[in-house]
Amino acid sequence: METLQYTIRKLIYSIPLLFGVTLIAFTLMVYFGPDLTDSILGKNPTAEQIADVRSELGYDAPFFVRYFMFLKEVVTFDFGSSMSSGEDVRSILARTVPVSFAVALPAFILSNLLGVGLALLAAYHRGGFWDKFVMVFAVVGMSVSYLMIVIAFQIIFSTSYGLNWFPVQGWIDPPPDYPDATFFEIAYYYWYNYWLYVTVPTLASIFVALGYNTRFFRAVIVEELNRDYVRTARAYGIGNGTIMLKHVLKNALIPIATRIIISLPFVIIAGNLLLEKFFGIPGVGLVTYDAITNGDLPVVKAVVTSTAILYVFALILTDIAYKVIDPRITYSK
Amino acid sequence: MSSDTPLLKVENLSVEFRTENGVVKAVDDVSFEVNEGEPVGIVGESGSGKSVTALTLLQLVPNPPGRVTGGRILLDGVDILSKSQSQMRNIRGNLASMIFQEPMTALNPVFTIANQMVEVIRVHQKVSKREALQIAIRMLDTVNIPTPEKCVKQYPHELSGGMRQRVMIAMALSCNPKLLIADEPTTALDVTVQAQVLKEIHQQQSERNMGMILITHDLGVVAETCKRVIVMYKGKIVEEAETEQLFRNPRHPYTQKLLSSVLSMRD
Amino acid sequence: MDADTTDQSSGTSAGQSLWSKSARKFRRDRFGLASLAIVGLYAVVALGVWLGLWGQGWSTLGEESFAGVSGEHWFGTNLNGQDIFQRAIAGTKTAFEVGLLVAVVSTLIGGFLGAIAGFYSGTWIDEVIMWLYGCIDAIPFYLFVAAIAFALEGFPYAMHVAMITTFWSSTCRIVRGEVIKIRSLEYIQAAHAIGVKPMTIILRHVSPNTFHILLVQGTIAFVGAIKSEVILTFLGLGVKEGVSWGRMLTESTQDVLRGHFGNFLAASIFLFILVIAFNMFADALQDATDPKKISS
Repeated sequence: METLQYTIRKLIYSIPLLFGVTLIAFTLMVYFGPDLTDSILGKNPTAEQIADVRSELGYDAPFFVRYFMFLKEVVTFDFGSSMSSGEDVRSILARTVPVSFAVALPAFILSNLLGVGLALLAAYHRGGFWDKFVMVFAVVGMSVSYLMIVIAFQIIFSTSYGLNWFPVQGWIDPPPDYPDATFFEIAYYYWYNYWLYVTVPTLASIFVALGYNTRFFRAVIVEELNRDYVRTARAYGIGNGTIMLKHVLKNALIPIATRIIISLPFVIIAGNLLLEKFFGIPGVGLVTYDAITNGDLPVVKAVVTSTAILYVFALILTDIAYKVIDPRITYSK
Repeated sequence: MSSDTPLLKVENLSVEFRTENGVVKAVDDVSFEVNEGEPVGIVGESGSGKSVTALTLLQLVPNPPGRVTGGRILLDGVDILSKSQSQMRNIRGNLASMIFQEPMTALNPVFTIANQMVEVIRVHQKVSKREALQIAIRMLDTVNIPTPEKCVKQYPHELSGGMRQRVMIAMALSCNPKLLIADEPTTALDVTVQAQVLKEIHQQQSERNMGMILITHDLGVVAETCKRVIVMYKGKIVEEAETEQLFRNPRHPYTQKLLSSVLSMRD
Repeated sequence: MDADTTDQSSGTSAGQSLWSKSARKFRRDRFGLASLAIVGLYAVVALGVWLGLWGQGWSTLGEESFAGVSGEHWFGTNLNGQDIFQRAIAGTKTAFEVGLLVAVVSTLIGGFLGAIAGFYSGTWIDEVIMWLYGCIDAIPFYLFVAAIAFALEGFPYAMHVAMITTFWSSTCRIVRGEVIKIRSLEYIQAAHAIGVKPMTIILRHVSPNTFHILLVQGTIAFVGAIKSEVILTFLGLGVKEGVSWGRMLTESTQDVLRGHFGNFLAASIFLFILVIAFNMFADALQDATDPKKISS
């Protein structure tokens, strides 16, 4: 019951945030955005035509009217159609979001799992060799540019200068049409191609993210290790392994899980622009990138607003999850 | 174990700490004994080395900054300082138990009392989870916790400070240790609760005939519960005497100062 | 037992002792000193380029494209025959330009707003500032930059503005947290009670204790800025004229497919060493100035 009240309070609190976000998005993209009159009219428009189009696009309307028009689009989630392909923005999103998700998911899971594992290893041996080793590795990971890694991995894995195991770019093509292909054969086809195209991007993502994750996780764990209850556990004969994996981990998971949850919306919908552009993966990122460079406004609007809204909800979710996981907070206030 | 051999014999113990400002001698050539069933108080201000001494008895001094540089500790015939960390696990909570100052933070906030007590019990005794739970409940009852079956299922933050400390006492006693080490057990509690918890400790100690080391800066606490008092100052023992004797006839100037501050408050 | 308000905030008038303790601690950290030296080296290089001392020949077109490593061209040449090493050197200046501008401005703004938010925490001022950075955090970074690039079309510092508007929020959050903690300390309440003006309190008492945060956040922002520049340039949203490591890496994506690694190696090495040195410097700085780790 109390959680429900808390949730409602948080939702209400998020309304100004949503307004703020949409306002900023609107101001930047629409108000200051490109003047679309030319692209619609083409060559040599008459003054009358210009005036018509402008009023149709609402350019003459005052700021807040235009803002409300934008809000209407947001609420109904109808941003119109892409200007380059004419495809309805919603169907574009429906098509590309799953792809981005499929690409981002393995990296997300692995980099967090490995991050926690490495952090535990480092914290357990803090001050010692493994700690330093892991931390150096983490700093290196943090310091390489994403672009560097992507290029390097491409060279190593995908070109003839390296291993040439993986394709340079691309994504799963629809399977060739064998009429008697069994379900398993098709499934295997997808599975095989999925890993064929996803591996190199995933490796690149993990390499970069791991450094940041490990450092943060280790800091959290080490801070827990300095707490009194660890001293108590040791004073009663509990072994170091159990202390790490039972006592410390559960406490450390609270801030760790929070961070993971906060990063989730960007995994789900944003789609890594750089990754997709580079590896030619037809996800949200690539579509957005093309939209940005082509000035394809409806697409950009859709992506920015949906990500922002998702983020706000993710924040609420985090707060609630936080309350549920940590019994102290649930009961004390 | 004859009553001639002391339960705990500390000989020339020295512990150093490496700090940014150089090496600090936290414990400097300290020697004392505790007999079976005897409650002994260690008194001193902060920085006197009393807590470090206690921690050393169970090899709980964190090793990077701290280091034992000399001495011997014999606990029930066991040479403590020669034991490795993993060998110490059998001794901690079993042969000797320690209670700490801050009950709020001493217990793990995300596990129930039951979980934590059962864990400790099963480390030292070969019992099933259910049996361990029964032992835990019985222990909670012994320390006069009103509804032990209910308390056991709760989380530490749901209990009051006094109750938490009782839980700690119950945990400490759950494996029948011969020595109880209590480091400022009542300092962090409300004044009204302090007397009760202190009485509880005193009662348990005499009923179970445990040796006890009670560390405090408060001479009043010592007067009620301890048979003998050791006074420490800057890592050294400056005076040691039977409680009554100490209060009536303090010899060392530092002890005299301590006493005079207590007495002036009583006025 | 002394009131433990002495922990870090007795720093103010005893502020000198906090600083000298930090300095001493930092001096003992060999990695910190080494990384500072490396950063300093880069700074000198950048300064030299700016002053016209070296790295001026980065745009001279040459005849030999993709020349290999030689005595004349330490990293060879690129597609247009331009000397890669010169370009890398010149890129240092760009990197520092971007880095310094973004780091300084975003940290100052973040610190200022954070201090105000923390000081007036609980009032509408605080709510507004928190709302503001909540909104900005919600928009994905690259999209935000793209949107700003659109809005500020043609403005050469569009990228810098975009970075500043996103980077200030983390500094703001941290400073706000610190200020809230400091505000509840007794001696600040005492000053307030006596009637010292809020501005004076902020400047004289609160700021010295948050300065170390600004320093650390500034270094983090610097690193973030250089790394972001690389990716933004690749996406076409960054540096458009002149040369930067981002441009070099972008060019190298084509070169590499044909087996020419000069651009890639030069830009990567220059970038990587600066970033890792800065990161280590930031770590050392954090260790040295963290009041919790300095014995008082």
